[in-house]
Amino acid sequence: MFPLRLAIQSILKEFWINLLTVLSIGALLMMLFAVGTIVYNIEIMTRRLPERLSILVFLKDHTPEGDLKVIEARFKSEPLVRSVEFISKDKAMNNLKKTFKEDDFILKGITDNPLSDSFEIRLKGNNLSVNDVKGFIDKIRALKNVDDVEHGGKLLESVYAFKQGLRVLGIFTGVIFATAVIFICYSTVRLLFYRRLDEIEIYRLLGATKAFVRAPFFIEGAVIGFIGGVLGTILLWILNNYLIGRIMVNIPVFSFISVPVGSLYFMPALGFVLGLSGVGFALGRLKY
Amino acid sequence: MITLENVSKRYETQEALTKVSFTIEKGTMAFVTGPSGAGKTTLFKLLYLAEKPDEGHISIAGFNTATLRESSIPLLRRNIGVVFQDFKLLNNKTVYDNIALTLRIRGIMERETKERVNSVLKMVNLRHKSDSYPLTLSGGEQQRITIARAIVGEPTVMLADEPTGNLDAENEDAIMNIFKRINAKGTTILIATHNKRLYDNTAKKVLYLDCGRLVKEAIR
Repeated sequence: MFPLRLAIQSILKEFWINLLTVLSIGALLMMLFAVGTIVYNIEIMTRRLPERLSILVFLKDHTPEGDLKVIEARFKSEPLVRSVEFISKDKAMNNLKKTFKEDDFILKGITDNPLSDSFEIRLKGNNLSVNDVKGFIDKIRALKNVDDVEHGGKLLESVYAFKQGLRVLGIFTGVIFATAVIFICYSTVRLLFYRRLDEIEIYRLLGATKAFVRAPFFIEGAVIGFIGGVLGTILLWILNNYLIGRIMVNIPVFSFISVPVGSLYFMPALGFVLGLSGVGFALGRLKY
Repeated sequence: MITLENVSKRYETQEALTKVSFTIEKGTMAFVTGPSGAGKTTLFKLLYLAEKPDEGHISIAGFNTATLRESSIPLLRRNIGVVFQDFKLLNNKTVYDNIALTLRIRGIMERETKERVNSVLKMVNLRHKSDSYPLTLSGGEQQRITIARAIVGEPTVMLADEPTGNLDAENEDAIMNIFKRINAKGTTILIATHNKRLYDNTAKKVLYLDCGRLVKEAIR
């Protein structure tokens, strides 16, 4: 109980230093959350990308009907395949005519249908890696009677590389912000420690253990970190409900933004842990 | 209760204590005297382990300081009540809180703390100053608060470094009477002073230090 009382007394006595620390932690945690939100949104946007990309498998001319059935069955047995549709060369031509509409005179000179029979394959969306898709396409190419395969693999690869880069950047930035929070707590605690050095010397001479001396600082660091987290949460909640909400309504481009509101409530816990870490680093290197 | 064997301490090139050996029996009130710079304060710092000796062995309150681990130093200090020459009171805390600190550090419950603090405040005749701050008190009163803080933990050994320095004769007597009462309860007391009047009437043992050496040991 006594260390708790000392911590509360110190928080109130050093009100302005602590307030500054809380504000800094709140701001940094907000930025940390913003980085997390960006990475989260990219993740969401790209998660269903493979599902939207279809693979077109063009077959060689005069592929026997029996082989078509075998190929279709083979595709359907693949766990990452969501749907398989056979498109005959006649259907493909009709589709082409529909695409051209009034401009279908372009096709008038063509007597023989030059198109091939094909399969359109759609993949399951979630958790497909570029390598999964690539591997699948290689398997298709190796099949008998397959002439060519068209797919969005290159696009997928670029998007995934971008996403991977962004994720690394996000983690890097997150670590920097988290380190900054720890450093702020570290500096504040060291400052407060040196201001109380005479008091601490007396405690030690009266028989206080190191744990007794450290306890109020740990409590103070944890409380400051926690309050910083709460402040960040409140500000982000306000920002999300009033500002981002309005932006989404008025500027449609931003309507896709998804804020992981549930994670907001972890911020006080994160502040608490980072605050404790800051105190740990600050006191760990001090001799008293 | 307090034993020193060939204890030496030097600061850079200056020898603060040289091969000091003595024993103070349990329940004794002893004095260590000598001119300024004789090594009295250094001796006390070694006894409550604010410093470590360069050579020799010290045994106090049942602890051998040579083999004592860093983590056990607080335990030793809880068995020793120290009256510091410069008081070492917390000026931003009340008299009550200054004395209670000794017990709070030990995790003693607030109710018992209150009883024991009030009891020692009564003993040093400062019950009415419980809510005052140290800087509003006279030197004699501050000294008595320091004594109260040292005895509230019921130590087996008490060390007092110049406890009557700069006090008038009346305050000196008051403080010596407190020490006599504590000693009568069985606490071993070692007082550092260069005031001859203090130990002339009271002491059973007087240790004379000069230039860091124990030059004389008088037993009465």
